[in-house]
Amino acid sequence: MKIRTWKRMVKQGFRNLFRNRIMSLASVSAIAAALFVLGLVLAVVMNMNNMVSGLESKVEVTVFLKENIRQADIDNLDRQINSWEGISERQFISRQEALNTWKEEWGDKRYLLDGYNEENNPLPDSFRITVEKPEFVEEIVEKAKKSSMVEKVQYSKDVVDSITNIASTARVFGLMIVGVLIAMAMVIIHNTIRISVYSRRREINIMKYIGATDWYIRWPFLMEGMLLGLIGAVVSGGLIGLVYSLLEKRMSSSPAQSNLLSLFQILPLNIILYPILALFIVVGGIVGISASLLSMRKHLRV
Amino acid sequence: MIQFANVTKEYDNGLRALNDVNLAVQNGEFVFIVGPSGAGKSTLIKLLLKEIEPTSGKLFVDDVDLSQMKRRDIPFYRRNIGVVFQDFRLLSDKTVYENVAYAMEIIEASGKAIRRQVPAVLSMVGLASKANSYPSQLSGGEQQRTALARALVNNPSILLADEPTGNLDSATAADIMKIINMINHRGTTVLMATHAKEIVNTMKKRVVTFQKGVVVSDMEKGEYFFED
Repeated sequence: MKIRTWKRMVKQGFRNLFRNRIMSLASVSAIAAALFVLGLVLAVVMNMNNMVSGLESKVEVTVFLKENIRQADIDNLDRQINSWEGISERQFISRQEALNTWKEEWGDKRYLLDGYNEENNPLPDSFRITVEKPEFVEEIVEKAKKSSMVEKVQYSKDVVDSITNIASTARVFGLMIVGVLIAMAMVIIHNTIRISVYSRRREINIMKYIGATDWYIRWPFLMEGMLLGLIGAVVSGGLIGLVYSLLEKRMSSSPAQSNLLSLFQILPLNIILYPILALFIVVGGIVGISASLLSMRKHLRV
Repeated sequence: MIQFANVTKEYDNGLRALNDVNLAVQNGEFVFIVGPSGAGKSTLIKLLLKEIEPTSGKLFVDDVDLSQMKRRDIPFYRRNIGVVFQDFRLLSDKTVYENVAYAMEIIEASGKAIRRQVPAVLSMVGLASKANSYPSQLSGGEQQRTALARALVNNPSILLADEPTGNLDSATAADIMKIINMINHRGTTVLMATHAKEIVNTMKKRVVTFQKGVVVSDMEKGEYFFED
């Protein structure tokens, strides 16, 4: 096709959108509504995922050492631990530090511990290991137990198990909901565009009578479908951004919330918005195009 | 030249719309196709547009066998045929000017040619002042004139008209017939299916009468003798 024909078809796509503005408006709002619901759920799921990850990164393993271990060996063990997989942080806590912490924790009842000093400190040296993910815990515990310097390894199996459980349930559930909603949004966009094409089946017919080729008829519709999808995507993306930033402002300004665990802080807007917008544009644009193509097939057979 | 050779068309529901039709139309001829409803007039037009295929027999247009034509060649074939219908079939979201220009755009004519040709054709059918109106703002006669302008803007060698005056009052119909006659005088072959007895009888052209899918008469300077 000649370049001028391409230009005409692009122009025609835009023009059709405007000339059929009632239908376009209806289509865009239907598409935007479908994507808006998807976006809200996505925002919730992303936040949930973030919280679960936060929870997972809170899993700790404490490794208690035997008495009277030389500093050189401790350093050696420290390096060893550092090389293990799944360690996000490790901290050596000397028996003295442990005793101080203990005393602090007891507050005004600390006098009960006054009998303990450097000489008769009953606490062992220890490593406090923060694990990246609960899945790594078993392995780390096994490795720690093998060391001859280690007296005892302590972690809460129940807590780890339930965190793992919650995390995987939350992820699977979130993924399922998002999957279902993406499918629903696709169906809604598809049907919307199909109606828009159907409402102009007569025009398609006429174009064929005059001798327009199938592709000549298709391109403007395709452009139009894509534009409807993209405009719907941008409108719903904007709405999501607006709603989310209001929520974000509210959450960060209320003092009761800021005192809560950092775990329950919501993700910042830009982290949420860009992936959602990208998904919208892909879903809106691609479904817009494919829906136009599929819906036109029948009407072109003249 | 248009030639029907033993053409039979039977629809899926068993209705036999055309039965062993033989008909030849020379280049530049003006032929009325008449007959009662269901005689097969519209089927004839549809066959010529290659919208449907004959059940048996052959159909030639300018020595091209339509049954041998590939699907992707149909649009190019149709560009050589202007067609007007009883219900006008204009693109409702385009203006008069754009409707006519569209026919030129699909053959990838240059913008210059379009800007030259479209106003010329519009003034030929007497619609120069309505160029920017939409079909819904036009009277029936004006809509049909737009359709005619669209049909002839690419200088087709054949004009097919399926009851072009069916929705028009007699004065407007006469106007439309003048334009169609003028198109014929430019050398375009005209095939017009019609019910309009009055028009047929005043034009004194060749009249082919169909009844139940069969050619029952074919007369030069004929008359509409069939009583509905």
